[in-house]
Amino acid sequence: MIHLQEVSKLYRTDRVETTALDNINLDVGKGEFISVMGPSGCGKSTLLNLIGLLDEPTSGKVALDGKAIDRYGDRDLARVRNERLGFIFQQFHLVSDLSVVDNVEIPLLYRKMSNKERRRAALAALDRVGLSSRTRHFPTQLSGGQQQRVAIARAIVGRPGILLADEPTGNLDSQMGDEIMSILEDLNANEKTTIVMVTHDPRMAEKTHRVVRLFDGRQVQ
Amino acid sequence: MIRHLFKLVWNRKRTSALLILEIFFSFLVVFVVATLGMYCWDNYKRPLGFSIKNVWQLRIETKKSDDQHTPEESATFARLLKEVKSFDAIESAAGAMGAPYEFGQYQSGMTIHHHDVTMEFNEVTPELKDVLGLRLVAGRWFQEGDEKLSWLPVVIDRDLARDAFGGQEAIGQRLDEPAPDGMKPKPGMRVIGVVDDFRRAGELSGPGNYRFDLKRLGNPDDRPGRIILVKVRSGTPASFEETLMARAQGVAPEWSFEVKPLTQLRESAFRLRLTPLIVGGIVAFFLLLMVGLGLIGVLWQNLLQRTREIGLRRATGASRAEVHRQVVMEQILLTTLGVFLGTVLVAQIPILDLIGFVSGRVFAGGLLVAMVSIYLLSILCALYPSAMAARVQPADALRYE
Amino acid sequence: MIKNYLKVALKVLGRRKFFTFISLFGISVTLVVLMVATALLDQVFAPEAPEVHGDRTLGIYQVGLRSEQIAYTGFAGYGLLDRVLRNLTTEVPAVERTSILSVQSTAISYLDGKRVESWFKRTDGEFWRILDFQFLEGQPFSQDDEKNGHHVAVINASTRDRFFGGKPAVGKTIAIDGQTFRVVGVVKDVPVLRVVAFSDVWVPISTFKSSTYRKDYIGNFMAILLARSRADFPAIRSEVAARLKAAEAGIPNPEMYKWIFGGADTLLGAFSRVLFSTNSLADSHPERLLGVFLLLMMLFMILPTVNLVNINLSRILDRSSEIGVRKAFGASSWTLVGQFVVENVFLTLIGAGIGLILAAAVLSTLNASGAIPYSDLHLNGRVFLYGLGIALFFGLFSGVYPAWRMSKLHPVQALRGRQV
Repeated sequence: MIHLQEVSKLYRTDRVETTALDNINLDVGKGEFISVMGPSGCGKSTLLNLIGLLDEPTSGKVALDGKAIDRYGDRDLARVRNERLGFIFQQFHLVSDLSVVDNVEIPLLYRKMSNKERRRAALAALDRVGLSSRTRHFPTQLSGGQQQRVAIARAIVGRPGILLADEPTGNLDSQMGDEIMSILEDLNANEKTTIVMVTHDPRMAEKTHRVVRLFDGRQVQ
Repeated sequence: MIRHLFKLVWNRKRTSALLILEIFFSFLVVFVVATLGMYCWDNYKRPLGFSIKNVWQLRIETKKSDDQHTPEESATFARLLKEVKSFDAIESAAGAMGAPYEFGQYQSGMTIHHHDVTMEFNEVTPELKDVLGLRLVAGRWFQEGDEKLSWLPVVIDRDLARDAFGGQEAIGQRLDEPAPDGMKPKPGMRVIGVVDDFRRAGELSGPGNYRFDLKRLGNPDDRPGRIILVKVRSGTPASFEETLMARAQGVAPEWSFEVKPLTQLRESAFRLRLTPLIVGGIVAFFLLLMVGLGLIGVLWQNLLQRTREIGLRRATGASRAEVHRQVVMEQILLTTLGVFLGTVLVAQIPILDLIGFVSGRVFAGGLLVAMVSIYLLSILCALYPSAMAARVQPADALRYE
Repeated sequence: MIKNYLKVALKVLGRRKFFTFISLFGISVTLVVLMVATALLDQVFAPEAPEVHGDRTLGIYQVGLRSEQIAYTGFAGYGLLDRVLRNLTTEVPAVERTSILSVQSTAISYLDGKRVESWFKRTDGEFWRILDFQFLEGQPFSQDDEKNGHHVAVINASTRDRFFGGKPAVGKTIAIDGQTFRVVGVVKDVPVLRVVAFSDVWVPISTFKSSTYRKDYIGNFMAILLARSRADFPAIRSEVAARLKAAEAGIPNPEMYKWIFGGADTLLGAFSRVLFSTNSLADSHPERLLGVFLLLMMLFMILPTVNLVNINLSRILDRSSEIGVRKAFGASSWTLVGQFVVENVFLTLIGAGIGLILAAAVLSTLNASGAIPYSDLHLNGRVFLYGLGIALFFGLFSGVYPAWRMSKLHPVQALRGRQV
């Protein structure tokens, strides 16, 4: 499903060269739920960005569904992100000027679809995360846990095969975190969605199939 | 997508409203200047109805208002005209009250077939047709013997014929001008001919009704003319002006005179009409430049605030081109709202018939120019900020704070 | 406090150069237009040479003659003005001097067969004592010259250049309008916008070729009255009104006109009377004309203001974190509003300074272009003060709303910046 081969990532500024990732090899199979752990600045997010096609590796190969993406142009990358990937962020990143349902519709705007279908899909996704009663609210009117559920609905509305979650519970208290976690587990179990989750929290990591540990950009286990 | 953008604009009411307001006022500014420009252009293309080639005017200053004259003065004027005509260098000369391109005008209003008609008029001697090359379209022009008629023959222009009589035959129709109490009523007027549209005030002036009354030189009731228009033979040197002045001064030592080719009057008439337009155009240009720079700044800043939103859109599958397009579309949407408001407002002009001179064509032209320039300005201003937005790296935009 | 504000303001403006540039561009363009307009109005209305006593001068600039059917509005005839002004200075001590002058008209001369047009004004000896012309040579003609119909003329410097090649002209003769005059004085050029004083050539009224003008009520004359002080204006106005009323008995063509309208106005009042066709004898409502000027200024300023408000809002949002910090450390909303308004006024004043320099350039170009004959448009203390006033108004107006929005920002939100 996801295949990283000898992937390295360097960040260059005028003076310093930082190695964010160093020779990472990673394979995630279909339906797998893995977590990526490590201290701050170890390259977890960089790894997620590379898998999410938001960034390109300095060297090495990234392949999704067996297709290497290094020759893809911007338009193709965007299409792959749109159809195959869903993102969940620690800060939720909801658009505050849009209602809950409009936020969830965003990924569908970049597909050819009627407004009606889009609306139906968004409502279904909100139902899936248990927020069908809050569709007209604005993000600021919701609790953190609710906001993250909206973000999950947005990530799954386009029925992507892969969910990439960057510390989805990092900004939430433990009870809310557990709720979010159970939604993810449910998606993984019932929809066979592949999930890669970056986390600090060993309690959350325990619930996943496999844990990848990074330290200073290197895979330690 | 449009609906989505509309929601964004709506939910950012306060910011959007101010931008829409700015576009609305810019639209009005362009509309006013464009409509005035279109009005001048539209007029310029219409036929003028006369030619001023080799025509000079001899202006007479009697230093008296038109209402007061003595029979002697009328006789002096007749003598003056005869003297002027006797020059070899002069092909023909005509007496009149007003000259082409002059600033002032003689206005008259009357009721014809139960509707009020206003018109500009002039009192002219029969030679005017040759001097100004008027083109008759119906009936006849003044001829010898007309001054002895018991009624006053008049020739009207096509505009007046249309306005006063509609589709009816104008020749033979009566016109009655109400005379003030205590004044001798003018003799009844009867239309004897129709000439092409005559636009005395010149190329840039609007169409209007015009009437030529016969100036009866032998009649002591008729006031002296204020103008003698002369057609000089081509090649007449400018120094002939002095000869002409001296002769006129000899005939009427108490009056003052001024000789000028009509081309000079035409120049000053153009300057008078175009100066406000040019000044307005320059001011409008700077206002638009100011608005354009302002829009770039505001859009740029707004997009900077929305970096994370843009990053998110990129992450969820918007390509660079789509982000680019979205920003421009948002701007077009705002512009449309501003232009819509502006159009609703200016549409009141023809609906309520607020300004008479704006014809449908001029109005539509002004509207079109205003719309096109505002959209162009708006899109042009959105291009740079939207290109910046499209360059947003989603990975950077979505990083921790 | 203010000093601190200004320091911050200067830093902020230096940091966002593009925003500072577009703000300054808008402000200075706006002020250039307004200051050029002000300079033009100043040249018409302000009491400056030669109309040095403009502030205590009244004029009968236009009159109306009417009956039930017809109406004439325009310049008066000599007969009417002469009747109204006769013995006015002796009977009403508040009036120091009076003068009658014709509206300038073009007059033709031929110099070696080439036509020369000059502006030509007829007036009396008192004209030169009410207005203060700068004489380059010779002296004005006197009331005696006027009484006795002496063919004498005062010309301006440009006319001296045209007729005499700039050489001394006093004592020489000038042929104009079919008459010959002996030059007695040469004055500095007067701008065309000084409607009362302006001309190229001034000659006595009595040099008219015929004397019929002496009885006319309609013509091309106006009169000016120099009051001893502005406080005398009401008394003079009512006296002139009474005399105009009394003059109705002498209308030369009573079968046409029955009533006379008009009055002694300030120059501003005269324009207002023409613009609004005011018929009242006593009051010409100059405040209406001021209202029109103010309205036009406001209309013009709408777009620049909206533009500046938009830019200001953007600048504020850009600084939301600074505002958050200040709020978190206990700055009240009012302090913040104050800070921003001061900052904006400061910016406007810089813009006004640039505008002032540009306006001076525009005005000197205008003077040099000759578009307005003999125009001597310049920025003086008065125009500068008006400009400053406009700039302050502009700065306050465009700063208050954004500042209010800024003060409403929630500190936590402000610190975080806007969500997504």
